[in-house]
Amino acid sequence: MAEPIVELRGVGKSFHEGDRERVVFRDASLSIEPGAWVFLFGRSGSGKSTLLNLVSGIDLPDRGEVRVDGSDLSRLSERERTLFRRNHIGFVFQFYNLIPTLTVEENVLLPLELSGTLTPAGRRRAAELLDAVGLADRGRAFPDRLSGGEQQRVAVARALVHAPKLVLADEPTGNLDAQTGRQVLDLFQRLLRPAGTTLVLVTHSGEVASLADRVLSIKDGVLVDAAGVPGAGA
Amino acid sequence: MILWRAGMRNVLRHPWLTVLAVLGVALGVAVVTAVDHANEAAQRAFRLAAETVAGRATHQVVGGPTGLAEDIYRRMRVELRVRGSAPVVSGHLQLAGRTFQLIGIDPFAEPPLRSFSSRFADRGLLTTLMTRPGTVLMLPESAAELRLERGATYPADSAGVRRQLALAGFLEPPDQVSRVALASVLVCDIATAQELLGMVGRLSRIDLILPDGAEGGRVLREVRAILPPGADIVPAGARAGALDQMTRAFRLNLKALSLLALVVGMFLIYNTMTFSVVRRRRLIGMLRALGVSRREVFAMICAEALLIGVAGTVAGLVAGALLGSELTRLVTRTINDLYFVMEVRRVPLLPGALWKGALLGVAATLAATMPAALEATGAPPRAVLSRSQVETRRRRLLPLATCGGFVLIAAGCGLFFTERGGIVGGFLGLFAVIVGYTLLVPAAVMLLSALLRPLLETVLGSLGRMAARGVVVSLSRTGVATAALVVAVSAGIGVGIMVGGFRLTVQNWLANWLQADVYVTSADRGGGRYRPPLDPALVRRLSVLEGEALVTLSRRVRIEGAAGGTELFSLQVPERTFLRYPFKEGDPARAWSTFRSGAAVLVSEPYSYRHHLHPGDSVTLRTSRGERRFPVAGVIYDYGSDTGIVIMSRAGYLANFADESVDGMSFTARPGLDLARLLELVRARVGGEQVTVVSNAQLRQATVEVFDRTFAITGVLRMLTMLVAFVGILSALMAMQVERARELAVLRAIGLTPGQVWGVVCGETVLIGLIAGLLSLPLGIAEALVLIYVINLRSFGWTMQLAITPAQLGQALLLSVTAAFLAGIYPSLRIARTSPALALKEED
Repeated sequence: MAEPIVELRGVGKSFHEGDRERVVFRDASLSIEPGAWVFLFGRSGSGKSTLLNLVSGIDLPDRGEVRVDGSDLSRLSERERTLFRRNHIGFVFQFYNLIPTLTVEENVLLPLELSGTLTPAGRRRAAELLDAVGLADRGRAFPDRLSGGEQQRVAVARALVHAPKLVLADEPTGNLDAQTGRQVLDLFQRLLRPAGTTLVLVTHSGEVASLADRVLSIKDGVLVDAAGVPGAGA
Repeated sequence: MILWRAGMRNVLRHPWLTVLAVLGVALGVAVVTAVDHANEAAQRAFRLAAETVAGRATHQVVGGPTGLAEDIYRRMRVELRVRGSAPVVSGHLQLAGRTFQLIGIDPFAEPPLRSFSSRFADRGLLTTLMTRPGTVLMLPESAAELRLERGATYPADSAGVRRQLALAGFLEPPDQVSRVALASVLVCDIATAQELLGMVGRLSRIDLILPDGAEGGRVLREVRAILPPGADIVPAGARAGALDQMTRAFRLNLKALSLLALVVGMFLIYNTMTFSVVRRRRLIGMLRALGVSRREVFAMICAEALLIGVAGTVAGLVAGALLGSELTRLVTRTINDLYFVMEVRRVPLLPGALWKGALLGVAATLAATMPAALEATGAPPRAVLSRSQVETRRRRLLPLATCGGFVLIAAGCGLFFTERGGIVGGFLGLFAVIVGYTLLVPAAVMLLSALLRPLLETVLGSLGRMAARGVVVSLSRTGVATAALVVAVSAGIGVGIMVGGFRLTVQNWLANWLQADVYVTSADRGGGRYRPPLDPALVRRLSVLEGEALVTLSRRVRIEGAAGGTELFSLQVPERTFLRYPFKEGDPARAWSTFRSGAAVLVSEPYSYRHHLHPGDSVTLRTSRGERRFPVAGVIYDYGSDTGIVIMSRAGYLANFADESVDGMSFTARPGLDLARLLELVRARVGGEQVTVVSNAQLRQATVEVFDRTFAITGVLRMLTMLVAFVGILSALMAMQVERARELAVLRAIGLTPGQVWGVVCGETVLIGLIAGLLSLPLGIAEALVLIYVINLRSFGWTMQLAITPAQLGQALLLSVTAAFLAGIYPSLRIARTSPALALKEED
């Protein structure tokens, strides 16, 4: 059996809100196989985004261990975690988070530049991805000229351009209408599945659960398999 | 490169904010560069002129007030065979409306000494110069400028007498440096100079080139042996050094004022960069999530700042060059009024001032950016860091900043009480107090907003309440903007009170010092503080008025010495007048008898401060009978010279200096004679002589005019600092309003009219102006106290009165509110015009 690409062991995480302490994870454990699609459901504020932050090394657990592709993130320095993120992880956000001062093409090329792989081959890949998401002709446009759906497609292209092993998506369809949301998920299907890229996706919407290999939810600070989620196929 | 592009485009997307930031740096750099240039140019022009004119002389033989007897030179040449020696007669005269230094030389003795005379190859020219009286040489450029032609004759005024000068030919200096130095020099034969300057048979000095070592020492001893008691040999560099030293405090004061403009400019940059970071906190969060490291974010912010800094610095240097020539004129005028006559013309921007300005501009920008860049780096890589979180973090720093402020103020005050710190210590202390005070500003803004809220609420209703809350809610913005305004306005108050107090002090002093009704002096102002003597026949004619008025005779001379010169003012004064002199130390009644006889002298306050002299100590002066010590009978207030003067009775002067000339007379009408009649009597006796006859009131007014002229440059710098602050507050308010566009658009969407939005924004800016104005009052007064009791005392040794008028403070308050209001107009209009739909479409 292959080594898990994401592994959480006994993770605890809480936040201070004023004088109160809000516990998000009490004792969370999780293991995700390479190439698996894991969808995380939960109410607002249940800690879904915190999980993504922990897995991407943006945040560190109070206790326990987060391992991604064999690396224990808690043992890495801030800089090492940043480099790890830039090289191995692709991010798709609910609000697209394209850099407003960069063109569509530049947005897609940015991860390549950051990882020092802005080669002719890299540029070709970016062009192919823009073509794949149907925006080949919009490369020179700035993000504010694009619709929400188009922006999210650019974000998908950006998340995949450096061929990450793991893609983290934070409610990628949350800001889109049903049809546009489906187009984005189709893109994931077309681009991630054949490459065997692992996807961790946070969502509210039960409709998308059918695409997942595994569905999780957070209950009382613990990650549980949520077979009962409507439409969940796991 | 893509990452850099994102940063650069951000700069270009907010052109107004960028322009304002660039402008802030530019103004700061321009002021510093211009002042530096003006100071340097004046100093260099003086040094060059002194060096070119002194040439390669190693020593100078100097005499008393009337110079040296010609015979000394003859004996040196003939008896001692000192070859490296040349006589000089120099003085000032006016030609074609400009003051020139006239240098009379002996062309045959000159060649080894002076570079400008090395080309006397034209024997014909030499013959003309030596055989035709009244012939002079000048630079072809100066002649062209004044439209003077070779061979033609022009009237020139010297010592109140008009004579004809013929331009015999042109000077051909060997290099550009001498060319700059000789711009205001006329060279003539020694006999011509003696005649023009009324020094027949006398020399101003003898320049010597002495060899190094034992041989030099031997010649020095031999020359010294034939000198009369009133003459001395001084090293050639000493005089220039002493004059340099004389203006040091003046130049330092200007420099400090220019640095203040830069400090205000730094606030501006800090504000701009912090805003730029805060506005992009979300973007920075995104970049961090995508894997951009802290170092890269830090570098990006710094690169942006560098771009602004370099652009501002370049613009500032160009503006500084333009401003520099104007300031050079003001500085030169002040130096001419206070110290010595000098002309500074067409000095190209000096590389030293340029480099300093450039370095300061870029370094200040980067230093001011550091906090913002660090904040950006510290931001966690979450996509959303809310505005309130930023404010909360800042607010947590508030107690620390406040404590730091108090510590800095205490440290600054400590420096004021450490005498050994000198002027530099005084300025350091002042800057510590200013910076410390600005750290207290955010806390004070919170407090004052709360206090002023009811007032705004009464005037503007709920909009007023919103405005007051807006100031506090965005404290990280408003705090800095207010602090910048506080620094600028307080500088205005501080300098204003200082100048006002000084002016009042001078007026009071003049009332005590100038007691006579009518004054007569020679009309010639070419010599700066020193005037040529009055015609002895005229003095005799005027002395006949003794029956109608009390007559006093005076003479102001400079006694040269190895350690520079001493200004000696001698006067024959009635006891009644003497007893009313403004004594600081000593008792007038007890001082009178020793003063009158010439056994003791008075010294002015700055002289006493510089030389640590008090009644009972003594002053050493080189008299015509050699060096003599004079006990100090008293210290009097005097604001005429910051280097200080020694005052001696005329009896003492006549006994010690073999100079009977008089350069000033005063007349106090005896009872029964009115001022108009006295003026008439004096004018009748003066006849057609070129002298100035002024009444007491006119002289006082003229003195105050000189005073005001002296401080004109201070006024200019004050205005420039205010301008920097204005740009600062404009940029801070614009930044704040751009950032709040969404919030204000929501207000518009829920039904506020453009006018009401305008009201909220303007209410906020006026509140900032009011708070800044109020906060600048205590700091301004504190600055005035430091300027008066620490800086000026340590610089010049002057005691000044402190006069704070409510009008001054009211003006400052008004200025602050107006500046803030004006700065708020554009952003508020922009916001009010923005369509709510448009603002809401943009993501937050």
